[in-house]
Amino acid sequence: MSAAMEPAALARPFTILVAALGGEGGGVLADWIIDAALHEGFPVQSTSIPGVSQRTGATTYYLELYPQRPATPMVKQPVMALLPSPGAIDLMAASELVEAGRAMQNAFVTADRTTLVASSHRIFATSEKVVPSDGRYASEKIISAAPQLARRAILFDMARLAQEAGTVINAVLFGAMSGSGALPLSREACEAAIRGAGKGAEASLRGFALGFSHASGELTMVAPPVAKPTIPTAPPVERVMKDFPAALHDLLNEAVRRLTEYQDVAYADQYLDRVHPLVAVEREIGGAESDFPLAREAARLMVLWMAYEDVIRVAELKTRASRFRRLRAEAGAKPGQPLVVVDYLKPGAEELADILPESLAAHLRAWVARRRLHGRATDFGLRLRSTSISGFLALRLLVLFKPWRRQAARFKMEQLAIERWLGAIKRFGLASLDRELVSEIIQCAALLRGYGDTQRRGRKAFEEVFETLLENESAAIKGLDKLTRAIRAIRSAALANPDAPPPALAVSGSGGKPVIWLKAG
Amino acid sequence: MERSFKAEVDQLRLAEGQTFTGEGILAVTKALLQSGVAYVGGYQGAPVSHLMDVLADAHEVLDELGVHFEAAGNEAGAAAMLGASINYPLRGAVTWKSVVGTNVASDALSNLASVGVTGGALIIIGEDYGEGASIIQERSHSFAMKSQMWLLDPRPNLPSIVNMVGKGFELSEASNTPVMLELRIRACHVHGSFVCRDNLKPKFSKLNRIAKPIFDVERIPMPPSNYAQEKHKVEVRMPAALKFIREQKLNEFFTGELHDIGIILQGGLYNTLIRALQQFGLADAFGASKIPLYVLNVTYPLLPDEVAHFCSGKRAVLVVEEGQPAHLEEAINSILRRADINDPHVIGKDILPLAGEYTGEVVLGGVGRFLQLMLPDGVDQAGVAQVLDGITQAKQRAAELLGERVPLRPPGFCIGCPERPVFSALKLVDKEVGGIHISSDIGCHTFSTLPPFNLGNTVLGFGLSLAASSGVSASMGQRVVTVMGDGGFWHNGLSSGVTNAIFRNDDRVLIIMENGYTSATGTQNIPSTPGLTAQQGVSISIEGTLRGMGVKWLERVDNYAVGNVAEVLRRAMTTPETGLKVIIADGECMLERQRRLRPVNAARLADGGRVVRTRFGVDEDVCTGDRSCIRLSGCPSLTLKDNPDPLRTEPVTTVNNGCVGCGLCGEVAQAAALCPSFYRTEVIQNPGWTDRFMQGLRQWTIGRLSGDGRGQA
Repeated sequence: MSAAMEPAALARPFTILVAALGGEGGGVLADWIIDAALHEGFPVQSTSIPGVSQRTGATTYYLELYPQRPATPMVKQPVMALLPSPGAIDLMAASELVEAGRAMQNAFVTADRTTLVASSHRIFATSEKVVPSDGRYASEKIISAAPQLARRAILFDMARLAQEAGTVINAVLFGAMSGSGALPLSREACEAAIRGAGKGAEASLRGFALGFSHASGELTMVAPPVAKPTIPTAPPVERVMKDFPAALHDLLNEAVRRLTEYQDVAYADQYLDRVHPLVAVEREIGGAESDFPLAREAARLMVLWMAYEDVIRVAELKTRASRFRRLRAEAGAKPGQPLVVVDYLKPGAEELADILPESLAAHLRAWVARRRLHGRATDFGLRLRSTSISGFLALRLLVLFKPWRRQAARFKMEQLAIERWLGAIKRFGLASLDRELVSEIIQCAALLRGYGDTQRRGRKAFEEVFETLLENESAAIKGLDKLTRAIRAIRSAALANPDAPPPALAVSGSGGKPVIWLKAG
Repeated sequence: MERSFKAEVDQLRLAEGQTFTGEGILAVTKALLQSGVAYVGGYQGAPVSHLMDVLADAHEVLDELGVHFEAAGNEAGAAAMLGASINYPLRGAVTWKSVVGTNVASDALSNLASVGVTGGALIIIGEDYGEGASIIQERSHSFAMKSQMWLLDPRPNLPSIVNMVGKGFELSEASNTPVMLELRIRACHVHGSFVCRDNLKPKFSKLNRIAKPIFDVERIPMPPSNYAQEKHKVEVRMPAALKFIREQKLNEFFTGELHDIGIILQGGLYNTLIRALQQFGLADAFGASKIPLYVLNVTYPLLPDEVAHFCSGKRAVLVVEEGQPAHLEEAINSILRRADINDPHVIGKDILPLAGEYTGEVVLGGVGRFLQLMLPDGVDQAGVAQVLDGITQAKQRAAELLGERVPLRPPGFCIGCPERPVFSALKLVDKEVGGIHISSDIGCHTFSTLPPFNLGNTVLGFGLSLAASSGVSASMGQRVVTVMGDGGFWHNGLSSGVTNAIFRNDDRVLIIMENGYTSATGTQNIPSTPGLTAQQGVSISIEGTLRGMGVKWLERVDNYAVGNVAEVLRRAMTTPETGLKVIIADGECMLERQRRLRPVNAARLADGGRVVRTRFGVDEDVCTGDRSCIRLSGCPSLTLKDNPDPLRTEPVTTVNNGCVGCGLCGEVAQAAALCPSFYRTEVIQNPGWTDRFMQGLRQWTIGRLSGDGRGQA
């Protein structure tokens, strides 16, 4: 063959960086790409850093291929890098959204050449999960930045498609890379590579096809619901419709439904009695035009508060038919396959005291305190088979105590606390007309949640806010701003991660790099 | 073992002219057999584990050639195997993760280097440096220098690496000195191909044994031989090595049109450098560079005449040398000064970083600054600036759009890992007693030092945790706790820690994580691995060993029973019993367990047998989102999801489909009295008639009495 037949040499190899998490089959994906490239007759190279069995850590696979078939056996071999260079990536693939964000931060996604193909689903990092309440990174930032930073960005939920296809995400990602048109390998070569790998090939090919058609635009990804689910339409309550602004109807109807189920109609009525003055307060401080956001937030927190989780409530929630249906679906139980549910409970004397009348509860609490002092247990571990007849009946028996709940010590304590909270909202709302302060007081309701230690810590913070600030004349005199800030400080301290991360791991702003196993960011 | 290497074993048989395709470290394995190696040893560790894993599966190939393979007890043991090459013409190779393995091996290596070798001795160093490294960051280069062993750092493509294995044996024999072959992580795992040669049967081996031992007092590192050995090393062996390296052209010169400048680099960085030059338009896809290059495939010793030849007549030379101290740069400066060549500026770690991996970005930046500093003719300076600024701008733009850095994702315990519950218990007890000093070791369990556990005060080396707690123990208010894996126990912990602690009757607590394998390196077998075949070895019990040595206070716990583990820990912390108190935390590596059980269950299921599938869950309407459970367990499958209750704004905790049903989350919820949200579900597949009858009865009852209408359980 004459030299003239040789195609002009390319300036550089085609570069692919795959970001994945341990255990997602990134190595298999790299092998598929190699096989597909070899199938096409292209020189190809891949590298990875398996290191320790980091099943959950972030990892990358880097590939280079020279998308030209040598007409004669190649004398010169292209030199392929083992490490990705920023600004020099042609195809960036990420099996998870934050990994795509990490690639952007490291300039592995650049507008002049990078096609970004990434799954839009999230797998949360430990640092996001250990934070009480909500420590999740804001996904929207990555989703909106992607098209601005990449030459072309293709993002969709590949985890869902993988589940649909009954396969691992790597197959869908491979399909998406191929479907993006950026990968210089034919679809046939890619599919042949999957087929050649044998095990699970059929499912992988299904996943590949789904990824391909979504990335190529044949199929449009139905966007996953980003917004909060809307409140289901509960039966309209006459009093709600008549006495409350329309902006609150959905919430209050649902609240009435929930509290009636929790206790009775009178309890739901009491709730509306409590919401009513809040609406009046908000009118005074100018919330009527913006659909009463403060009253709505207070009403939302109050219904959760009034339906606090005592053992009766937990027993009720655990014996719902809808729960057993949900668990069957979650466990993937097929019709005809029996499902056993074992609940891990640790009922203690304190939970018992919560549903006893005050006098008895006081004795029990004193006993608990004495035993704690001597380091003795006041609770016992119970693994209850809620799907067995005896287990189920035991839980239903607890629910029968519902009518007596009104006499219970915890019930009375919560009602007093609610009144205290409402009183402060009204008092400061009308006196200060300061929306920020009122909002801060409202949020104090979120302190009282959970069980055990969390519950005790929150209640302590709640007491501190009321005793030292809201019910303390000298604190209010110092100015509304100061008061608002002081409440916020107590609240954030109570809701912060009780195990503060060690300093070396705290991600610093502009300062030194954190010392960590893997490269930061 | 983590995976099967059957396909790789087949490649070890490839003959002359056939093409091997696969990983760098497996290419080395094949190259060893092509070089007529008589014995191979080592200690596992990324990035060289696969070399050993594949040989462990390759009995037949090895037996045919008569090659002896042994996974040594530790790196010192592996290095000592090279003693076979001192007196006899046996080629031998050993391997480990460096710099840690070289540290452990260095006693044997010093002795070996001093006395010298007859048969070629090759040490394959998996240089675990930079990205993904899991150990202290030091370079192995210094070991080569201080013991005067020769260090190879070949260009990271399979033909170069394979060629260098062969040349390494020849160099070793030509200079009677052990040779180190350094491969970085990515070079070990690079996927490529090379054309094979036939495997070579060693001259002496299992198949053709040595008839008569050789005694030579000059090969004993003891006076008076040791003085003579040192002189011999520098006066005879070093010159012999230099001669071989020069004549065999092990280092490579690449010419380029910009001849007034040049770059000297470690062979292992060649591809990274070429990519940087490509980005500046100074090299083509095939590596033809406009700047002359001197590629050091041998980084120790340097050839003064080659260095002088390359540098003379140049204005400036850039030294691209990864790691510190800057041995090469210093040596080059010294060579030029001695040769009285004073023109070229030798530029290196003044514009390249002193420490850390030389990634694509680092090398790009260094070469860019070199070009901006030296202003060579024919280089488009605007283009250089554009490349460098482009990256800075891309990062800035990303930072503006993304705001805060995305969360880090360090590695952690696997789902269902049996070590996690021990740390949950330890965290509970640590809180109760107001803090415990914990001496940690190397292994998967070192992840305990990361969130969410943040447990473990010091790490001093593999198997050294118990020894590392002896000094501090005397001055601590509480008993100190030592954590050691079974891998570390056999590697070094038994001799340097346990023996002495028993001997000294030390009042300390030792937790041994008995998961059955060296899990962090790919679940290789150790002496206490359960169910070993005769071919794999003879199983030794850790508990039996300790009792035999005289440990009186010893308790074995089931790791997943967190409350019980915590209780045993409390007892160990408070018992009046003096002496070493040992808790054996018993839980098989979950990866291995799943690997074992999955096919068994699948087969039983296919046969219509009754199989129970277990997983855990969180009741979404009972969870109130304080995340205590996550902070005490950190299981990857314990995660967050949007709250299905529209009245709640915070996410709920949830167990995802990765759950293997180990039960830790439920145990923790109980042991720490967290909340009533956790449950276990068991799906009975292929139920029997009793299952079905009971199910019917239960459904009927629950359907009548459940809270919200007819249901099905």
